[in-house]
Amino acid sequence: MLTLYKPGTGWLHRMPAGPKLLLILAVVLAVSLLPARWTSVPVAACVAFLGYLVAGLGPGMMPLHELGRQLYALRWIIGITLVSQVIFIGFEPAVANTTRVIAAIVLAALLALSTRVTALLDAIERGLRPFERLGLDSQRVALLLTVTISTIPVLGRRAAEVRDAQRARGARNNPRTFIIPFLIVALKHADELGDALTARGVR
Amino acid sequence: MPISEARSHNSAIRRLDATSLARVAIFAAIVAVLGMPGGFSVAGGVPITVQTLGVMLAGAIIGPWLGALSMVVLLALVAIGLPLLAGGRGGLGVFFGPSAGYLFGWILGAFVIGLIVHFGGRKPVLWRTILGMLLGGILAIYAVGLPVQSMITGLPLGETAILSLVFIPGDLIKAVTATIIVMTLVRAYPRAFRRVWASRNTQNLESVR
Repeated sequence: MLTLYKPGTGWLHRMPAGPKLLLILAVVLAVSLLPARWTSVPVAACVAFLGYLVAGLGPGMMPLHELGRQLYALRWIIGITLVSQVIFIGFEPAVANTTRVIAAIVLAALLALSTRVTALLDAIERGLRPFERLGLDSQRVALLLTVTISTIPVLGRRAAEVRDAQRARGARNNPRTFIIPFLIVALKHADELGDALTARGVR
Repeated sequence: MPISEARSHNSAIRRLDATSLARVAIFAAIVAVLGMPGGFSVAGGVPITVQTLGVMLAGAIIGPWLGALSMVVLLALVAIGLPLLAGGRGGLGVFFGPSAGYLFGWILGAFVIGLIVHFGGRKPVLWRTILGMLLGGILAIYAVGLPVQSMITGLPLGETAILSLVFIPGDLIKAVTATIIVMTLVRAYPRAFRRVWASRNTQNLESVR
């Protein structure tokens, strides 16, 4: 399945997933807590720029190109946040708040850009292990996440089949007539999946 | 009934059995698939996300605990970098954006819907389903989403609420659609709910007696 991961060999890519998650969370939280004043604007923007420059995402202009791509994907959030804030609370807090929010979002994106999903799944399983004393089964959590990941493309194909079948009969693309057959197909798949898991010793 | 009730409650909190695990995974996947391209456009080509429709259905069909758990699973996968939200959004960043609270609201929303629709382990009926969709699918999601949006953007709560009014008509359409789907499913595929309800005949007998 498609992920947000971009292969690379920089230090951020090589850093273990658990500590990397904590590092990025700390930076993002620090940026989020900046006050709504003019001084926050260059600070937030610089942290975001530096984050992309020092992360070692790739050679030459690659990091800035990636940052540009992230910002382009956020254009609607930037626009709506900026305009609504200028209308309601004035220019200074509007620009400061928007810069702060956007900097936090693009910095947080560094995690997905530089870490494979499997590495993060392993990190989650390890990170939850101390909670086993409280009755949390970390292996079952990891199984649940993995099963869901592998189920999404299967259900995506089933959804396309249902749509194709309806189109072949000349039905319009309408949520209500699509969802009921799709739900029944998906729930039948859930029963099969449950049986398959039981057959493999998952109780 | 008390046995199945205790089992489903127990399994959701303490130990998730294979069947429940599969159903949780499927509903997380359903919400993800509903956000994929190839979606729908209604009312003159305005694109809408039908993902909240999936949230409403999760609570109503697999119940409060499993429904909420399936939303936790979906959000966990989004957080570790899968682009599962509408428009291919994903990654840790969405939890720091203006709509972060609405995502957490999905967990509470699915739970509240499940509680109301499955109230006392009874069969979903029209009025309880629509009440659940309105209270859980709209009110509960906004109750978490609005304060977080206001906190993140720094815009006061009142103004944030005014901005969000744009989405209310779409939410009402989704609540009605979800209700129709649940009521159809109760008749067409009662197996979906994995519960046994007393049939109409025995209820009549009891009222005679």
